[in-house]
Amino acid sequence: MESASLNRPGAVRHLSFASKWIAFVVLCCIAGCRKQPPAIAAIPRTCGTLLWEAEHTGIQQVASADGLNIYWNAPMREDDVQGQIEVLAKAIDRGVQGVVISPVEALPLRTPVHRALKHGIPIVVIGTDLGLTPGKNLAYVFNDEERGGEMAAQRIGELLHGEGTVAVMGINNQLTSTAQRARSFETNLTGKFPHIQVVFRSLALPTVSQEQQVAEKLLAKNPRINAIVALSESSTRGAYYALTEFDKTSTIRLVGFDQNLIAPIRTGGIDSVIMQNTHEMGRAAMMLMNEELHLGATRSHVVLQPLLVTQANLDSDIVKEILDLRWFSK
Amino acid sequence: MRRTIKQRLTWTAIAVLAILIAGVATRLAYLNWTQHEPSFHDTFGREGSRQQRPGGWQAFGGTWQVIDGAMFNIADDRGAKLVNGSARWSNYIVEGDVQLLGEGGDAGFVLRTTEEEVGVDAYHGYFAGLRDLDDTLILGRADYGWHEYQTLPVHSGLKTQKWYHLQFLAYECTLIARANTDNSEVITAVLHDPQCLTHGRFGLQSYSTAAAWRNLEVRPATKSDMEVMLPVSSANLEVRPSSPGLIDPWSEQRVFLPMQRELENYRSDLNALPIADLRLLAPNQPSQVTVHGVVTLVSPTLFVQDSTGGIAIPQAHTGTPVQIGDSVEAHGNVELHDFSSVLRNADVRLLWSHTPVPPVSVTASQAATGAFDAQFIETEGRLISEQRAGDKSVVLKLDEGSQSFIAITAYPSLAETLNGLKNGSRLRLRGICVTDRAYAQNEMPFAVLMRSAEDVQMIEPPPWWNARHIVELIVGLLTLSLGLQLSYTTFKRSQLRAVIEERERLGLEMHDTLAQSFAGVGFQLEALCEEARPGSSMRAQLESTVDLVRAGHLEARRNIAALRPGNLDQMGLAKALELAAQTIIQGGPITISTSVHGEPRPMPLRISDTLFRIGQEAIANAVRHGHPHTIYLRLVYGRPSVKLTVRDDGEGFSWREESPGFGIRGMKRRADSIDATLRVRSSPGHGTSVQVRAILPSALFAAWWQRVRIGSRKRGARGKAA
Repeated sequence: MESASLNRPGAVRHLSFASKWIAFVVLCCIAGCRKQPPAIAAIPRTCGTLLWEAEHTGIQQVASADGLNIYWNAPMREDDVQGQIEVLAKAIDRGVQGVVISPVEALPLRTPVHRALKHGIPIVVIGTDLGLTPGKNLAYVFNDEERGGEMAAQRIGELLHGEGTVAVMGINNQLTSTAQRARSFETNLTGKFPHIQVVFRSLALPTVSQEQQVAEKLLAKNPRINAIVALSESSTRGAYYALTEFDKTSTIRLVGFDQNLIAPIRTGGIDSVIMQNTHEMGRAAMMLMNEELHLGATRSHVVLQPLLVTQANLDSDIVKEILDLRWFSK
Repeated sequence: MRRTIKQRLTWTAIAVLAILIAGVATRLAYLNWTQHEPSFHDTFGREGSRQQRPGGWQAFGGTWQVIDGAMFNIADDRGAKLVNGSARWSNYIVEGDVQLLGEGGDAGFVLRTTEEEVGVDAYHGYFAGLRDLDDTLILGRADYGWHEYQTLPVHSGLKTQKWYHLQFLAYECTLIARANTDNSEVITAVLHDPQCLTHGRFGLQSYSTAAAWRNLEVRPATKSDMEVMLPVSSANLEVRPSSPGLIDPWSEQRVFLPMQRELENYRSDLNALPIADLRLLAPNQPSQVTVHGVVTLVSPTLFVQDSTGGIAIPQAHTGTPVQIGDSVEAHGNVELHDFSSVLRNADVRLLWSHTPVPPVSVTASQAATGAFDAQFIETEGRLISEQRAGDKSVVLKLDEGSQSFIAITAYPSLAETLNGLKNGSRLRLRGICVTDRAYAQNEMPFAVLMRSAEDVQMIEPPPWWNARHIVELIVGLLTLSLGLQLSYTTFKRSQLRAVIEERERLGLEMHDTLAQSFAGVGFQLEALCEEARPGSSMRAQLESTVDLVRAGHLEARRNIAALRPGNLDQMGLAKALELAAQTIIQGGPITISTSVHGEPRPMPLRISDTLFRIGQEAIANAVRHGHPHTIYLRLVYGRPSVKLTVRDDGEGFSWREESPGFGIRGMKRRADSIDATLRVRSSPGHGTSVQVRAILPSALFAAWWQRVRIGSRKRGARGKAA
């Protein structure tokens, strides 16, 4: 017994020494191998465009104020559904605390988003209803597409003085937002301006050149058409290119959607564009995300109003704010 | 002793840890030494390339190919990157020639990049490049988003298909980009970034245009290099040192002017037909048609597709080189094939750049129907084999369900990437689906013409359960079980050895104490007895006491003998038993008869010791209770067993198996411990026989084991001698 009691301090001393070594190595590993994960992943349909960099600015403004890191990435093309699903999966692998996503299409994104929700990741969806019921960890930020359609109808009615023919391009049933625009436009046009006829409709195509070809055929077959309503950025650009090519920009009025093509408004090449306030949508999404992270969502959705941009308000403060791309300004 | 072991363990652990740390430190020092010094020179296939590890080029988007001494990105993805070098590089300069292949984009170098991913501006780092959208040299920083600090005009304008020399330097927190353009115009952009990125790799990047790079060199940058690149006296030099500012990269002018430029050159044929409608043309009459579509493959044949289908355009006449993703208009003679059409003698005109189409995901069975002929598809298959023709062409054979197909590439850069693929891997491939027999080798329903390394993605490694791995697993398990068995045997043997040593120690203790005491007491009693009067009752009592002491002494010596069996290994079981028997009978009238039959074989210590103990107990019982004349010891070596019989011609007893005595129960327990069988036979007047039969290990194993033991013993002896 005596011998054992004499041995014990030595043993403890040796164990303590070994423990220190082990603790040192473990601490080194922890310090060296772990990196703080980004807090929130923000995944637009694509990056580097007027439409989505404005959202970046809005998101970053709120994130900076709240001390959150943002992982901002998206597919290189706006129609790359699989690419967006992969970016989402990668973000989740990186251990983000939340996701703000603007789905390229509704149906293919439903399962990946649902799986992320099942893992307890708070999500805010921008722009499109995925069909998933809002809850503690899911909320939506919408652009008021009904209002956008109404604005377009009102503008066309005013431009044509209540009488004439119009073509609708870029109808996309895979995005509920664009489908809503089309429905709202025609409903309001028929209701308010019954003497304006929709004589041509085309479905959305993935590239500008394809949209342009559609517009070219439209102009070739219907040279007396009075106006075109283009429901997406691609169709707006395609229609504008075709009108320029046919030298019809002054006789056929073009009302477009989404703000990737603003410059021709000043020259009259495009009459007007109905802009999404993606800057404010980004801010609203981050505020909803804050709620989800700390309390659980108290609002199922936020709806923001679009803005009709014409020559008259092109240089207004509100347009400048929507087009503020300085995401890096803290 | 315990303390010594703990100390040894601790110091051993520390020594191992120190070796590990030293190894890691050495490795880090090596990496630091080899990677910290930026040094790179690549002529892309021409003489003098000096590619400095590590890992080579890594692509993030784009379609990269090495052609004629230059690196090409033939796709006009937005923000495609190709990165190389070390993340530890700090102060260095990247230099080379850059060529824009299409309009409306930019191309240049990235520097000090980290955390690169596929995506627009998806990295942390700096970019300097030439942009023909607005004819500028741009310099900025990406942090998963673009921040453009400098946009300097190139007064002479930028042209496609023309080489420009570009230098990009990073020294501490100063970034300098310099472009040499036409008319000896030199434009220098400078950025002082107080919160600069300090380390990172370098690379090539293009945005919305195809581009090419050549004569690439990276070298360390010094302060004097920086000062040389800073402006001095050249009249054409324009310098604007800048802090992070508020330059708006999306100004209306930036968008509007290039658009106008593109529109000036554009007017398409309104009578263009959908590609699928070409199938409806009269098959026997030559038809001149126009189609519009997006380029999906440039080489070996131009492929174009629209939303209705794809078409091959061999030997196309293109004024401006077209790239993957370009929208084109093609006019030529249509030729109808089985599943798609071919446009011959076609003139191809660029309509728009950067409008790439995504692939259609199809199964091999769907592709095998021919419905996707000439279209850009994505499909999956398991790699069966790989054939190479020289260093360039690679043909992969794949299986998927009931279909087999091949994937072909003719690009060296892709061939290099495919080196790591193993048969059995599941691959996801992108490329143009062709049913042409020339590609499909007359055996397969279709082939996939791949365009770059990014068109191959391994989604699943080869299944682990192949024949080789199963054999390896079995061998491994056998080795492991053998090792465990050996360890267990060694452990048991050392345990047994310890027991034997303890017995010997007890025997010695008893010999030195108990037996000596018995001898001393006996001697004293005999002396007293001598002094006592003969015939007196005291003498009788003393004589009786002396007898008791002698009997006790005898029993003690027997027990000591039982505890000290001697060296079984050296003398053998039969001899050891005979000696034990001689010790037990102590020179009495009992005869010991020993016989050995069969070839004596080495046996494990646990078996020999157990047999010895059983035999010893049987001899002792015979002497104590049987009063025999002769005790027969018989040892029979058979295959695969050894049998020991101890038989006596004594009085015997009425043997009842159901109620054995204490001694026999002990023998039974010992026999059970080595899985041996014990048989006892006895009857009054006919003596007693105790027979034990034990199974021995195989001769081969036993011989090996014997060698091991002998070797071990010799080493032990040498250790003791030392």
